[in-house]
Amino acid sequence: MIDLSFTLNGAPVSQRVEDRTSLADLVREGHGLTGTHVGCEHGACGACTVLVDGEPARSCIVLAAMCEGRAVTTAEGLVDDPVMAELRRQFHDKHALQCGFCTPAMMISARDIIARHGAAAPATIRKELAGQICRCTGYAPIVAAIAAAGAALNPSSDAAAAAPHVAATAAGASDAS
Amino acid sequence: MASPTSDGAPGWIGARLKRKEDERFLYAAGRYVADVRLPGLKDVAFVRSDVAHGRLLGVTKPEGADVFTLADLGPLNDLVAGPEIAEFRTSLYPPLAGDKVRFVGQPVAAVIAATRAEAEDIAAEVLVETEELGAVTDAVAALAPDAPRLHEAWADNAFIAAPVIAGDQDALAAAPVVVRRRLKMNRQATVSLEGRGVVAHYDRRYGELIVHLSTQGAHVMRRGLAEVLGLAENRIRVIAPDVGGGFGGKNRLTPEEIAVCAMALKTGQPLRWIEDRREHLIASLHAREHTYEIALHAEADGTIIGMSGDVYIDAGAYALWPTGAFMEASMAARNLTGPYKARALNLQTYTVATNKAPMGPYRGVARPGACFAIERMVDELAAELGMDPIEIRRRNLITEADLPMRTVGGLSLDTGHYPAALDMACEMIGVDKVRARQKAGEADGRVIGLGIAVYTEQSGHGTSEWMKRKARVVPGHESANVRMHPDGTVDIAVGIQNHGQGLETTLSQIAATELGLHPDAINVRYGDTATTPFGFGTFASRSIVFSGGAVAKGCREVAAKARRIGAALLQVSADDVRIEAGEIVGPAGSVSLAEVARAATLRPEFLPEGEDALLETTVSYEPADSAGVFSYGAHAVVVAVEPLTGAVDLLDYVVAEDCGTVINPLIVDGQIVGGVAQGIGTALYEEIPFDPELGQPLATTFGDYMVPCASEIPDIRIGHLVTPARVTEYGVKGMGEGGAIAPPAAVGNALADAFRQSRAQFLETPFTPRRVSDAVAAADGEGAR
Ligand code: FES
Ligand code: FES
Repeated sequence: MIDLSFTLNGAPVSQRVEDRTSLADLVREGHGLTGTHVGCEHGACGACTVLVDGEPARSCIVLAAMCEGRAVTTAEGLVDDPVMAELRRQFHDKHALQCGFCTPAMMISARDIIARHGAAAPATIRKELAGQICRCTGYAPIVAAIAAAGAALNPSSDAAAAAPHVAATAAGASDAS
Repeated sequence: MASPTSDGAPGWIGARLKRKEDERFLYAAGRYVADVRLPGLKDVAFVRSDVAHGRLLGVTKPEGADVFTLADLGPLNDLVAGPEIAEFRTSLYPPLAGDKVRFVGQPVAAVIAATRAEAEDIAAEVLVETEELGAVTDAVAALAPDAPRLHEAWADNAFIAAPVIAGDQDALAAAPVVVRRRLKMNRQATVSLEGRGVVAHYDRRYGELIVHLSTQGAHVMRRGLAEVLGLAENRIRVIAPDVGGGFGGKNRLTPEEIAVCAMALKTGQPLRWIEDRREHLIASLHAREHTYEIALHAEADGTIIGMSGDVYIDAGAYALWPTGAFMEASMAARNLTGPYKARALNLQTYTVATNKAPMGPYRGVARPGACFAIERMVDELAAELGMDPIEIRRRNLITEADLPMRTVGGLSLDTGHYPAALDMACEMIGVDKVRARQKAGEADGRVIGLGIAVYTEQSGHGTSEWMKRKARVVPGHESANVRMHPDGTVDIAVGIQNHGQGLETTLSQIAATELGLHPDAINVRYGDTATTPFGFGTFASRSIVFSGGAVAKGCREVAAKARRIGAALLQVSADDVRIEAGEIVGPAGSVSLAEVARAATLRPEFLPEGEDALLETTVSYEPADSAGVFSYGAHAVVVAVEPLTGAVDLLDYVVAEDCGTVINPLIVDGQIVGGVAQGIGTALYEEIPFDPELGQPLATTFGDYMVPCASEIPDIRIGHLVTPARVTEYGVKGMGEGGAIAPPAAVGNALADAFRQSRAQFLETPFTPRRVSDAVAAADGEGAR
């Protein structure tokens, strides 16, 4: 067991955890944040993606103990984020979810793609999404939703614009731009 | 919000309504089985067999640990699975292994602990002693007289061997052209992103076992649990919360689920088991493994006569309740003439037991294999005769004039225009352009191929069809409870299960159409045996036909009563009112449905003489003809192949399809694209190979089981034809599976087309780089000799 202090969705947390506890288990079982889903537990499906210090991380292969002093943000902590609001609109509009199991993590990855690429082209989005498994949608609607959200959030962007200009404002999330 | 747009169809039918179920998922607030929280909940881990075939000699439990073996679960009743056919050999699948283990991953013991991690620690200390027996890993070799026997009482390893002989046998024998091939579609898993899962606890309030289960059909699963546990059905409540994909894989009762329920009863503790991915890949149900040793018989001009040969289904070690994998063989055989005017079948089918996880249904059930076999064979025939693959299809396709017709395999094709789908797919993919590009060659040395496959998809089949299959459970109807509340809003409870299909939205559209309400005023409930009428669940592309029909019927009954009450309130005859936009409208005035509903519930003094209170009904529905209605379509794909490495790229993929009247085009397209993606997985990536001697599964993580990601799946372009069904409400046909049926055939045909000069053979899925480059090299080697 070790002592662990970190912020979870903006709130400071101090607790003891077993050395082997994964971040996914900690947020799900320890904190009831069940929007983080577990689809493989070996870092391959992306369903468990959260943000650690603003960077996407697969919480099933991150040990809770590695999060000492860090800011962890789950899908629940991004509900008020403006990029997520746009993604919600576009995912809904493009029918980019069916069973919904991949959706929260897919949106966190999408948010990161938009942060790094702005109005990204579909080919870029497809490449960046590799490693996020969706078994239901066949991906095309997800790619379309992310492209539309990227375009809506970056109205003046021409394709050459290198610098993304999307600010994350959710509690605890500092964007990796 | 979409407005009702339709081509002459009433109300909300055909509206591109965005899904009502999206919101909770978009806010990360979906609630799956693993998210259920109960006080005192403990976790279960299973000890699994690490040998493929062996006699179980003993299980040693660690001191003081909470470990269950089969003997500790009982007494349990036998759960007999498989079709009700005398020749079908049964193989009881115990929830924990009895005297033998028959596949790697079979549950042997179960451990309860405070957390899953602790339960797994203990599981690792449980000692399982087995005497290893020879492993059976090949369905054809399994039938050899000296093959090790999985079930000692059986005369050989076949669950059942059955001929399918029909039509003009003389014509078959006299055929001038006979093309023989051996085709194989390999084994895979269903891979819902959420695995199986169960949370069970005994609840004293009603004295019942409450089971949260990730399932496609709560009512049928309750029936199975009641049988095996020896409980009355009203002492079990099965709740299916949000279900993270099923695709057929959650339509069987599996041993882990039974074991957890039995342990929850024994211990009185709330227990949970959540399948991990390794468990899913090795020990949930498997799918697809078919071998075809077949011949296509034809006239010299390419007219198909029929098919002969042997079909082998590798069904794994056991039959899963209720129906096992028995329909794979008959469905594969009966669909082997595809959408063509064939006259004869002469097939022997074998459903074989091997030391692998049991086979179950997976999107398309048998038809991806059958479509692969017939459509590859048609291209092989075309190549043999020097004909164009499109031309040979045109010559043989069943036409509108032939319909309705009963195929030689006994399928009752209803409505459609199959050649039009082929033409549309060819037009969309741009056949001439692709041919020109092929001629020009690629600068990067890759080779281009064009592949086409046509399929049919039986959907909405009921009593007669399932009785033909001797099903243990006959899904011949669906039910709906329609209840209008005092404020005029509506709850609809159905026995099917929504797990991605958008049924909260489409059933609302149907109800809104019939009740003259907005879909937002409708609430669709499902997935709880305590609050919904009996139903079979969601599978076999049946929900929109059956459940949609039940909702329409129930809503019409409620609407008729509302009209009677409304007419009385308006003091006019019921014949003179209509229901529209939330009102009962008469010749000279109207009354809101809310007022009508208030009279029917809170204020009975306003009810007309002789009218019962309540605006509520429960109905069941089956289409007028239970042989099923057939969706169909044509897929066309352009591939680019690196001949040396065998890497395959999909450059373009089009689908021309007809599923009758469309309730919601957004959702239909979503089902098509999702199905095609899974079909591409079958075609190119997904496979669970086994070590042939040891029977060890060789794909146990997503590191070695390849699920396609966004970079592997192209944009799918879709074209629609609409030929309504004659026997269903609104003319709908089911369409959940069709997308997954044709891709292995279309991709295989595209590969064969790319290498048509060398006649490289593409007869086994998935077409991995290794298989493709081997096929190319083998053909080149032959050419060089
Ligand atoms: S659950 Fe973490 S990547 Fe799959
Ligand atoms: S919506 Fe089901 S896994 Fe993506």
